[in-house]
Amino acid sequence: MGVDPMKQTVQMREIQEKMKPGVITRDGFLGTDSRNLIDILTADDDKVKRLNLTHTQIAQRMRELRDAGKKGLGNFVSVAPHFEIRVDMVRGKLACPFGHPGLIQKTNVQVRNLESNRDITFTDMHIHMVGDHGFYEGKGSPFRLEVRDLIDILEIELPEE
Amino acid sequence: MALIPQLLIGIGAISAVTTVLAIIMVIADATIANYGDVQIKINDDKEVTIEGGRPLLSSLMEEKIFIPSACGGRGSCGLCKVKVTSDVGDYLPTELPWISEEEKAENIRLSCQLKLKKDIAIQIPDELFNVREYECEVASLVDLTYDIKQVNLHLREPSEIKFKAGQYVQFQVPEYELTSESIYRAYSMASQPSRINEVELEIRLIPNGICTTYVFEHLKEGDTVTINGPYGDFHLHETDARIIFIAGGSGNAPVKSMLYNMLETNSPRETLYFFGARAVRDLFLVDEMKELESKLANFRYIPALSEPLPEDNWKGETGLITDVLDRHITSGENTEAYLCGSPGMIDAAIAVLTKNGIHEDNIYYDKFA
Repeated sequence: MGVDPMKQTVQMREIQEKMKPGVITRDGFLGTDSRNLIDILTADDDKVKRLNLTHTQIAQRMRELRDAGKKGLGNFVSVAPHFEIRVDMVRGKLACPFGHPGLIQKTNVQVRNLESNRDITFTDMHIHMVGDHGFYEGKGSPFRLEVRDLIDILEIELPEE
Repeated sequence: MALIPQLLIGIGAISAVTTVLAIIMVIADATIANYGDVQIKINDDKEVTIEGGRPLLSSLMEEKIFIPSACGGRGSCGLCKVKVTSDVGDYLPTELPWISEEEKAENIRLSCQLKLKKDIAIQIPDELFNVREYECEVASLVDLTYDIKQVNLHLREPSEIKFKAGQYVQFQVPEYELTSESIYRAYSMASQPSRINEVELEIRLIPNGICTTYVFEHLKEGDTVTINGPYGDFHLHETDARIIFIAGGSGNAPVKSMLYNMLETNSPRETLYFFGARAVRDLFLVDEMKELESKLANFRYIPALSEPLPEDNWKGETGLITDVLDRHITSGENTEAYLCGSPGMIDAAIAVLTKNGIHEDNIYYDKFA
């Protein structure tokens, strides 16, 4: 059972163009996803809403763990209750494909959940795109973040229904 | 029956129109978008003629003039700045985030974004003329830790490199599974300047990193690789001041180069090297550093572990490298500091150094960002 694709505005189309490979980053942000950007955003928004969460809450948890990991000064550091986190940077900054002013540092945050034995890596760009735009990247993108993975690995508490 | 001839006439008409439009497009492409030859005048001296319409950065690279770039010309590193002394039009939106007001006053432009549509005059530092592209053979690959690899390159053509200890090169990653085109990444040289026929790098694995994944999973001894360099302003200053080195992870590379250079030049300078790691498994070349302690006139290596494991049986310094630094430095008199590592580490170290009396003008660093 599919969802009828939504009509995309000109502005959204322009943003989608910026997300293509070679414009801002080598790989772009859409992977092999053939959907319109509005449909990608809507689908992930639905997932987050069904869990009674907001994108802001998810981004806030990503930010908290990133900030805790910064204490390691580039090495892995233990973060209670059972995380190991490493925050590192590489040369360069990136522009937000949604047109947000300014540039975003290329920061890598590696989070290991020692209890579930799972790990996840995200960047400052991810924190911004999730929190400000509800964008987790397109399917097939090597850097796509799945909502459920973020919730499970980062242990984001789900509100009671 | 009359319909068929009408249909054929219609198809013929559409084909003719399509053909004419295609011809017009080919002519337009050859004329309107064709800027012809463009001359680049460099430092009021050297002149090169190139095909117009392409970015300044790649045009110069084809002439074997290498402007530093860490992002392959995508406008995401801000390194490829060049002073332009002729009129090339207004700043592009893609340049503006990288150009300060002071740089605007000097007409500094981002060479990867500037497309050459007419003759141009530029000023670049003379040292960039020393930058060459080198074809190398991978002489050896050594695992220093579980996530840091030492890559030893033997230079084939040209066979010699001149550089200052502390500088870096750009390593070209060819097309492979993670990339459909070659890209460049910058790495500091761990070899010292006297090793003119080789370049040693220390490369740390980054999750999903294009270059580091290539190095760790595909690169083999005997492979041919291309590098260009040397680049960078990070090097020892010729004074008699006490030296404090601070590094973590692959930040060791330029420090190692400087230490061996000091050994070969019989430097008498008092030197302390604070190396930060998490546990014993993150330390490397410890024996080599201990050997340098006995060979250099006045050198002390101080590794510090932030979270040693019980089985490490660690008897050395513990805590974050900045805390260890704070315990050891009691005076900033006649002291220079050289820092290499993550921006977080560098910022934290600078705070400790200035608190202990070392002037910011005497603190030098190569932030990886």
